[in-house]
Amino acid sequence: MFLAKKLVLAHFWVAFIAFAAAMVLGAWQMFVRSPLSSWVGNPEHYYRSVTAHGTVMAYVFPTLVAMGFGYAITELALKRPLLGLRWAWVGFWLVIAGTVMASVPMAMGRASVLYTFYPPLIASPLYYLGVVLVVVGSWFWVALMVINLRAWKKDNPGASVPLAMFGNVAAAYLWAWTSIGAAVEILVLILPAALGLTDTINAGLSRVLFSWTLHAIVYFWLMPTYIAFYTIVPRAIGGRLYSDTMGRVAFVLFLVFSMPIGIHHLFADPQVGSGFKFVHAVFTAMVSVPTFLTVFTIVASCEIASRLRGGKGPLGWVKALPWHNPMMLAVTFSFVMLGFGGAGGLINMSYQLNETVHNTQWVTGHFHLIFAGAIVIMYFMVAYELWPQLTQCAAFSTRLVKTQLWLWFVGMMVLTGPWHWVGLLGMPRRMAYFDYSHPAIQPQAWTVVASTVGGFVLLVSAFLFVYILASARRADKPAEPFTFSVAVHASSTVPRALNGFAIWVALMVSLTVVNYGFPIAQLAMLKDASVPVIPVGAR
Amino acid sequence: MDRPGLYAWRNPWFKWSVLSVVGTFVAAVLVGFLWLPSVQSDFDAQGIWASICRAAGVPDKWGDGSPVTAPVDAAVIAKRLRTTGVVLSQSMARPGSGEASGRGATIALQQCTMCHGARGVSVANAPSLAGQYPEVIIKQITDYQQGDRQSSIMQALARKLSERDIADVSVYYAELPRPQPLAGRLNVTVPALVLVGDPMRNIAPCASCHGGVEHKLGSPWLDGMPKDYLAVQLSAFASGARKNDSHAQMRNMARQLSAKESVELASYYARP
Repeated sequence: MFLAKKLVLAHFWVAFIAFAAAMVLGAWQMFVRSPLSSWVGNPEHYYRSVTAHGTVMAYVFPTLVAMGFGYAITELALKRPLLGLRWAWVGFWLVIAGTVMASVPMAMGRASVLYTFYPPLIASPLYYLGVVLVVVGSWFWVALMVINLRAWKKDNPGASVPLAMFGNVAAAYLWAWTSIGAAVEILVLILPAALGLTDTINAGLSRVLFSWTLHAIVYFWLMPTYIAFYTIVPRAIGGRLYSDTMGRVAFVLFLVFSMPIGIHHLFADPQVGSGFKFVHAVFTAMVSVPTFLTVFTIVASCEIASRLRGGKGPLGWVKALPWHNPMMLAVTFSFVMLGFGGAGGLINMSYQLNETVHNTQWVTGHFHLIFAGAIVIMYFMVAYELWPQLTQCAAFSTRLVKTQLWLWFVGMMVLTGPWHWVGLLGMPRRMAYFDYSHPAIQPQAWTVVASTVGGFVLLVSAFLFVYILASARRADKPAEPFTFSVAVHASSTVPRALNGFAIWVALMVSLTVVNYGFPIAQLAMLKDASVPVIPVGAR
Repeated sequence: MDRPGLYAWRNPWFKWSVLSVVGTFVAAVLVGFLWLPSVQSDFDAQGIWASICRAAGVPDKWGDGSPVTAPVDAAVIAKRLRTTGVVLSQSMARPGSGEASGRGATIALQQCTMCHGARGVSVANAPSLAGQYPEVIIKQITDYQQGDRQSSIMQALARKLSERDIADVSVYYAELPRPQPLAGRLNVTVPALVLVGDPMRNIAPCASCHGGVEHKLGSPWLDGMPKDYLAVQLSAFASGARKNDSHAQMRNMARQLSAKESVELASYYARP
């Protein structure tokens, strides 16, 4: 790597330290509402913690990982120094400033509105301004990714964009467009109320605007993981990528389909018409296509690795996979969690089935399994892969890394399994308190204990992860140059449509306009749609 | 070689991408806006346009237009459903000027101190007003004035007050110091209903509106109120005799309480 080492390292360290801190909060939340602890006595303390956990895990941690990984890819895949290094540092410091700014009111209990904001609840304006700064900082990254790719294309006319960079810039475009919903919600609706300029807020419109961001943000978190699937996993397990084109198709499909689907979070909201809910459900179903393509391609890539190692037979090759390799373990765990979480997701997106799980612990289980499970376990692997490049450290202890991955996988399954189960029984999510002496609740008490155990296993794994990175020893000789996966049938050219984003960004914007335009316009023009704001912790 | 432009219809990537996305969208719209509404059991075939409007969330009329119940005078219904004429706003909660406070003190001295105490701490089973949130006082006096809350004494007194008088009195009382809890009271165990409510009976914790955990606009400060006053109000909410709470917030809580629980809560907040 050239110039960006310090930059990437700074992003990763802040991300992982924030992650470890938010893990402590998460485990604490599980513990205090379980029968293992006497109750904390004040639900506000619980929601304060939930807000901090969600804000860090949803806005700060994945954004910094995507940014840091993006800068690393730019240099490693394009094989030249990053343009605009100084601006990248400006973006980084904006994210830090935003995080600090949001943390103060959160810690003081002036922002216990949860990371999804929930207007008409209104927090201290500093909290929203902090979140806005984090997002603005990430927009610097978006601009730099686009500029770097454009400059590279100009210097290499007609050359195929490396797959890692292609996915990286797809993620940048996706994030730029998806972050606009929440940005508009905060700037136009919430901040005027938080600053006391107005006493009422159009809560229905706020929720629709937030849904614009709320679902696609998940695919922004997912992109680094998918980039790792396609461009790191096959190489790391000693195989070849089954298809480079399939990777490009998956990335552009995410671009097109992940945006116009957020209203599936509002199935129970009366302010949106059922027709739009159905259309959003259909497109949510479409977004499973790139995931199916990816699972197929990566499993095929694993099969190639196995057959190169002498794997035989229609299923016998599974035995010959390099199971001793942490990457093999991680991608397997990731796919198992993606499988369960994805199946649950198909239930969430189905208009009718959603009714049975809406706002229950099922939903908490679903997104922890997908994001904290399938996605974050690959963030770990990205860090392990890049660390020798960033710090010139020696190889990590495979045993420690495998232990960490096993703990994360087992912890996540133990955490989320009971959540899914009690969700089906109707346990609501985001409850600060359960009365275990009540005969109707008592039979479910064990599930909260089980999830708490899972939570603490995860906490151990998170600390082990940070320990492994922090205790890395310096290597005697410089690290081998970093390489990305090579496709099994390398082709010198890719279709023009898959070497850029013009068509896909145009489709993404058009679909968003037709899927969101009417509901937003209708709610914005609706008379008497505003409700009184409820300032949180103000008195 | 003649390569078609990116956006050219001859470019198969462009053509098939656009066609498949548009096709999916059109199919979804046809199902969601035309077919699904028409198979709802309550769909009464008012034509394609009505179906589309309904699916878009803007029915041109609700139901078939006929009255839901037997015709009753609208004024009678409005009166029966009425809870309060006050719309709470954050502006009511802002501190007032010194002049407002002075005027308020004058009015209070003449009309309020007899029952509510010289410094707003009642010894007569009337509510203590010292340190009460201003919007609470505005709302309650206005409700007495408009007949939404009943009391022969308070309704007569409130009738004479102007809107400004009420606002000024609220400013004055908000500034008075709240009664300090005695040292011995600090050891009182907080009832579970205050802290966590009873979710299985749909009872929200008292402290999530009345202060302690969170304070919501319009909810009175209760610490140090006379026990009898609190107990009477809870039973009035439970029976529906008092119904000036917006959206029946307090009636829904009080109805769920047993007589013993009501007394326990009143004693806790009064803490003699």
